[in-house]
Amino acid sequence: MGRVFTGSEILLESLSREKVEVFFGLPGGAVLPLYDALYSAGIRHLLVRHEQAAAFAADGYARVTGKPGVCLGTSGPGATNLITGLTSAMMDSIPVVALTGQVPLAMIGKDAFQEADTIGISMPSTKASYLVRAAVDIPRIIHRAFSTAVSGRPGPVLVDLPKSVLMEKAEPVYPSTPGSEKPERIREWRDEDIERAAEMILESRRAVFYVGGGVIASDAWRELRELAELAHIPVTTTLMGLGAFPSAHPLSLGMLGMHGSYATNQSICQCDLLVAIGARFDDRVTGRLKDFASQSKKIHIDVDPSEVNKNVRVDLALVGDARENLRALIDELKRQVREGKTAAHSGRQQWLQRIESWRGEHPLTYDKYGHTVKPQYVIETLSNFAAEDAILAVDVGQHQMWAAQFWSFNQPRTCLSSSGLGSMGYGFPAAMGAQLAFPNRQVIAVVGDGGFQMTLNDLATVAQYRVPVKIAIINNRALGMVRQWQEIFFEKRYCDIDLNFAPDFSKLAESYGIRGVRVEHRTDVPDAVRDFLSDREPRLIDFWVDPAENVYPIVPPGASLAEMVVEPPRVQVEEEEALDDLWAV
Amino acid sequence: MQWLMALETNGDPISICRLMNIFRRKGVGVVTLTLAARPSGFSLMALVETPEADVDHLFNLLRRTEGVDHVTCYRHEPSGDASFVFIDEDPASTNVARFLQTFPESKLIFASHGKYLLEVPADRRARPVASDSGELQFMPFARVKTTVAQPELVAAQAS
Repeated sequence: MGRVFTGSEILLESLSREKVEVFFGLPGGAVLPLYDALYSAGIRHLLVRHEQAAAFAADGYARVTGKPGVCLGTSGPGATNLITGLTSAMMDSIPVVALTGQVPLAMIGKDAFQEADTIGISMPSTKASYLVRAAVDIPRIIHRAFSTAVSGRPGPVLVDLPKSVLMEKAEPVYPSTPGSEKPERIREWRDEDIERAAEMILESRRAVFYVGGGVIASDAWRELRELAELAHIPVTTTLMGLGAFPSAHPLSLGMLGMHGSYATNQSICQCDLLVAIGARFDDRVTGRLKDFASQSKKIHIDVDPSEVNKNVRVDLALVGDARENLRALIDELKRQVREGKTAAHSGRQQWLQRIESWRGEHPLTYDKYGHTVKPQYVIETLSNFAAEDAILAVDVGQHQMWAAQFWSFNQPRTCLSSSGLGSMGYGFPAAMGAQLAFPNRQVIAVVGDGGFQMTLNDLATVAQYRVPVKIAIINNRALGMVRQWQEIFFEKRYCDIDLNFAPDFSKLAESYGIRGVRVEHRTDVPDAVRDFLSDREPRLIDFWVDPAENVYPIVPPGASLAEMVVEPPRVQVEEEEALDDLWAV
Repeated sequence: MQWLMALETNGDPISICRLMNIFRRKGVGVVTLTLAARPSGFSLMALVETPEADVDHLFNLLRRTEGVDHVTCYRHEPSGDASFVFIDEDPASTNVARFLQTFPESKLIFASHGKYLLEVPADRRARPVASDSGELQFMPFARVKTTVAQPELVAAQAS
């Protein structure tokens, strides 16, 4: 008989074999044996102040590295607190492995103290969830969990660990390679499908690439750029796809959809071929479905077959890994061009000129000369001063959309956002996770005052471990996006959006031992940002921005992209005064 | 439109829960359903009501769900030839016995709790047949999608 180990020791060794460097968690009764083993283990653990932050941090870690992020909660409330983070990871296809404590096997189903049906609760929020029934099974199940998290369409996996299993002794047998090392990728296209796709691209005159997070997940950004330049086709990205194509590239159209630019949305309305790559035709992208890109043929490249024809019917589906697909498409395009089939280049040039004229008609802009601090200006300034490889983590709401519009994304895996679920409170802990992955890179959390108040208790974590994240609050003293919708779509019946009753965030940061500052004047922004980004310490900056600012353009709910409202209606003086009264502190 | 979904999962009951949750979330109307335990897992057969436009998505979603080993989707063919027939009978009925008498070459694919799926040989496509004791009651189906590997037809080589 070989050496025997406790389930906790086997678990930590299994994590180590999966090359887990750090995980985020909070101890409790059911996982005490695990923390006891952790005491003398070499693996790093960050003590968060709420399990939701652990899940978001693991998500942030996964997005910037491409490797599964790991979080942990104890049984019962520890596990249920992870669920929002797991649901967000599920919606955005982010590989996260959640470890949860569970009451001893013999007590499951007895409504024991801190017992929750974690497997049942997590079912729709995870790709898979496993209850471990014996310590000897831990290596196999952890291997499977990591493999499942990264294979096919990535996503979160949960492993529920009863306390008795963590304490049980067993002789482990470990798989020879990490489960996350070789993700399984399906390929369901045939060579003739690629030939057909290349023909459709060459035949088109007004094509657009519509790119989502799948391009980032499969590391296909080089192929995307090569293909776009080869075919001379402009690229628009979803929120999840930001960073997959450089914002400054002449073929970049930026983000499309509800808050996409006029030129971008017009290009979708007028295109004759739409090539969706790693994107899922989300309602915030499409607007009214029946009018979405209605003049176009459509090709859909996606690793998940269930996305094909889910929302929008397509003419050709290439189910498989985006990178492999794009590589095959590039090779096939080159082959067809060699054989004499030429792209409709003259038509393409006209198409790009047309897009440029739309850009000129309604550029993304804001009032740059008013006395108030405009949130767009803050974001633009942060982007200008940030390092080339800086990572941006945003929360959810108006500032998220302004960041999508005004931040210059140069590299993949630099934009973290709870895009599908839209979970407020995500930005700050996600930044923390990203910073742990890349301690030497600049990580900036741009958050709203509403979302930040949901997870600001982890300022303690940042202070304790000196995690040098930079927290920029776009503070409009309101739930801004809700306020905007009440203003535009509910006849200005403002109801429960006022967040004036809030702490002084700069003083709060100081109380945690983090330097904090408030900025209230436009002219102070550049110097404040320069100073904010100048060191390797956690910092907080509280920008008091114009509370009446709204995100434009906007596609009203239920409308088509063509019906977007590009700029705010002019308001009467008395209405402005009424708003001033509302926001007076 | 009615479809027959035949699913095989691993032995973890959570896999069945995932499937049922998919039916619920996707608004699939379950007309009748039966579940059987096998040594290696579960078999589930559901007669469902869902628009034809949603079937691709549903099939693909089911087949990529964790714990699902196989999915086969059959389309109801009320007026067409039936390669497969589904019989849902009460204990007093003799439909299955009479069907097997009429089509003895039929192959039983699934049987549980009074629900039977049978494959009818291609040369004896089943149509409602009058027998001594009345018309056989069954629903004809055509298999449209499956994850189960099918034997490939190989053209005979001319000598």
